[in-house]
Amino acid sequence: MASKGSRWANQEEDAALEARLKKEKEEKKRQKAEKPRKLEAERKRQQQQQQAHNTAAAAAPTPPPRPATHNDSDDDAVSEPYRRGQYDDGNDGAHGPPIKRRRISPDRETPPTAPAPAAASAPAGLSDSTGSSKLLRFEGGAFGRCRSVENYDKLNDIEEGAYGWVARAQELATGKVVALKRLKIDPKDRSGLPVTGLREIQILKDCDHCNVVKLQEVVVGDDTTKIDSIFLVLDFVEHDLKSILEDMPEPFLASEVKTLLLQLASGVAYLHANWILHRDLKTSNLLLNNRGQLKIADFGMARYVGDPPPAKLTQLVVTLWYRAPELLLGATRYSHAVDMWSVGCIFGELLTREPLLQGKNEVDELTHIFSLCGIPTDDSWPAFRRLPNARALRLPHSPAAAATSSVIRAKFPLLTAAGVALLNALLALDPDRRPSARDMLDHEYFRQDPKPKQEAMFPTFPSKAGQERRHRRTTPNAPARGQQAVDLGAVDFSGIFSGRDKEERGGGFSLRMV
Amino acid sequence: MTHMTNPLATPDQLYQRRSFSALPTELQDAIFFSTQCVTQAAGVLLHLPQSTTAQANVLLARYWLVEPFMSHDYEFSDISAATLYLTAKLGPTPRSPRDITNVYTYLLSASSPLLRPTAHPLLLNDPKTYYLSPAASQTFQTRLLSAEAHILYTLSFNTHVALPHPLAITYLQALDFLNQPRREPLAKRALAHLNTALLSPQMLYLTNQPNALAVAAVYSAARDVGAKMPECAWWEVFDVDREELGFLVVGMRSVEGWARKMREDVPAMAAGGMITRADIEDEMRRRGLHVGNGHEHGHGRDGVGFDDAEAEMARKMDEKMAQMEEGSG
Repeated sequence: MASKGSRWANQEEDAALEARLKKEKEEKKRQKAEKPRKLEAERKRQQQQQQAHNTAAAAAPTPPPRPATHNDSDDDAVSEPYRRGQYDDGNDGAHGPPIKRRRISPDRETPPTAPAPAAASAPAGLSDSTGSSKLLRFEGGAFGRCRSVENYDKLNDIEEGAYGWVARAQELATGKVVALKRLKIDPKDRSGLPVTGLREIQILKDCDHCNVVKLQEVVVGDDTTKIDSIFLVLDFVEHDLKSILEDMPEPFLASEVKTLLLQLASGVAYLHANWILHRDLKTSNLLLNNRGQLKIADFGMARYVGDPPPAKLTQLVVTLWYRAPELLLGATRYSHAVDMWSVGCIFGELLTREPLLQGKNEVDELTHIFSLCGIPTDDSWPAFRRLPNARALRLPHSPAAAATSSVIRAKFPLLTAAGVALLNALLALDPDRRPSARDMLDHEYFRQDPKPKQEAMFPTFPSKAGQERRHRRTTPNAPARGQQAVDLGAVDFSGIFSGRDKEERGGGFSLRMV
Repeated sequence: MTHMTNPLATPDQLYQRRSFSALPTELQDAIFFSTQCVTQAAGVLLHLPQSTTAQANVLLARYWLVEPFMSHDYEFSDISAATLYLTAKLGPTPRSPRDITNVYTYLLSASSPLLRPTAHPLLLNDPKTYYLSPAASQTFQTRLLSAEAHILYTLSFNTHVALPHPLAITYLQALDFLNQPRREPLAKRALAHLNTALLSPQMLYLTNQPNALAVAAVYSAARDVGAKMPECAWWEVFDVDREELGFLVVGMRSVEGWARKMREDVPAMAAGGMITRADIEDEMRRRGLHVGNGHEHGHGRDGVGFDDAEAEMARKMDEKMAQMEEGSG
């Protein structure tokens, strides 16, 4: 064989290469021969170590014993393949640098490249260092093209509203029923695909929680030369909370309210822990399946935020009835507390079946808020005066104590003291005083009787998505992007508390508690 | 955990690209490298933070792995521009299509020093070479937006990229390197290695998770500046095994030498400037290879790709023979 090689070895380097390869081969052979012996030694050593462990019973993990000269050999191990890499680049340009770590060929064929040099030339000491330590492996999934929407068969339309078209569909291959939500695309928009839609997709892709609706995939229309129809394939969930509330003859039981609220809080806690602000929590964006599971949906307003929150966020978020007072007063630096305000509004709505604060416009909404929660004072909300729209408000100079305190207790006579405390905390005017979603999960309210009802014990409702058309009440939509923020102008709030003292306080009872 | 992990290339994807492409590997690598470079250059001119530009680089690499280089009518630079536009749009520093258009027009013009030797004789500095009429600008933007949708489709709308840069700094802190007198060159060097790795045709960001890239960059940087490293297998603390570390260090450090050599070897690159489809087509003709009409993989769906599939097969067999001879010799 050497003679065949020598036909090409007409240059000095080639001869040198030949020699080197030969030497390496011998080296490998030697290592191979040594392997059983090493393994044996290794086993013995590990046994000893095990014994040592057992006798010492030390709590702290001991680092794997390594040869005394390991530091030198480390350097060699890395610089050796490095030289080799250079060498390969120079002489084997047609292949580019070889891929060493990950095998580039699937199992069906033998790898075209030689065994990874980094592995082959690593000193035998390597095996004991990797063998004995446990390394975390991170899974990030894979990437590839979208599938076609033709993989799904449309069953019926669910919703055609402000935020696009949603249909119930069935995956042809599996028979699984899903919801298809079409991304609204304006072909005249000179900035391409809508950034809100792309954010929604990215955020949903990153989320994995039982109380957040799951995005299974994104599919596109059949003609892929021009991507103009994009569909989100979501879990199909039978109801949204809003239509259930509208149609149920009796309000939810206290135990049911607790279950719903706990699920909402745990979903929101998950989002906030992952640096996501939802910014449009409301009952029509909360879905409920027939097994009593609540899922947060519609992330069209959501975005990632850091800590501290970015300085210039848009104040035009959250549907008016669920919008926190700091947003109405023009804050551009806000955080998780805006979602918690919405959770408070939803809490109130679950109790009464009616949206809690139905303002006709921004000013009216603030009026509703202040008449429920009281007028802000330097005590209840120290930072309030510094908000952009606060200067224009004319508030009573020295309001009576009644006007600055909340009337939540009076408005929800059937709610327990702990429930009132929670609702009051969520609807605190000062965003810094609202509890976080994680705090909320530990609230006394959920530990008191009646205990939260098991999800499986939830009543079922006729599914609206099952084509039972029902009347829709008009509710405001989430603010559109690019809309102008409303300047509240000079507003007089001094009149809204005139009849306050005459109002009835507390009391009331209900026979239907559990 | 999503903030620390990336979707990675599957072995199948890597194998497909290396083995079934009609383009010789060095041309694939040249296209890959020059699109990554033009993205970086545009990021600088658009005043984008490196975090945004680096994310665009990673998305671009993913795109090139899924989509064959010659399969669409988009110019290579269009794909770069659309990726950068998309990444900036989703991040904290959006840029208008108009800004992107102007920057790319400049970078592709004869006045641009991009990928050209500094004292290039043909380098004009003439504003006329990068003036774009309103109509031409409109056309560019239409192409940009169409490429944007196409890229999103190719990546199934997954634009998630976790970068290793912040991790590298955290690791330097954890290893107590940042209390050392030479911390600045060390940290800079580590980030430089990470940025270099973005250009590597080995597509290191698609084969390894950020923690491994960060450890390799720290290791390399410490060696470069002669900083003393802990005398134990410290990389295991960051969940990287020694083999992976060795591979990445080699990969990162070989980019410079490889790029220099490639720029001499590939005529289209040696000429200077951004590589174009026309360059690649010329080069293929010169080599007597045929570029299929938009079907690089030669599926033979409509018979167009059949010729190059056959030529490719012959080439592969020649290589295999050569390899076998080498192995037995």
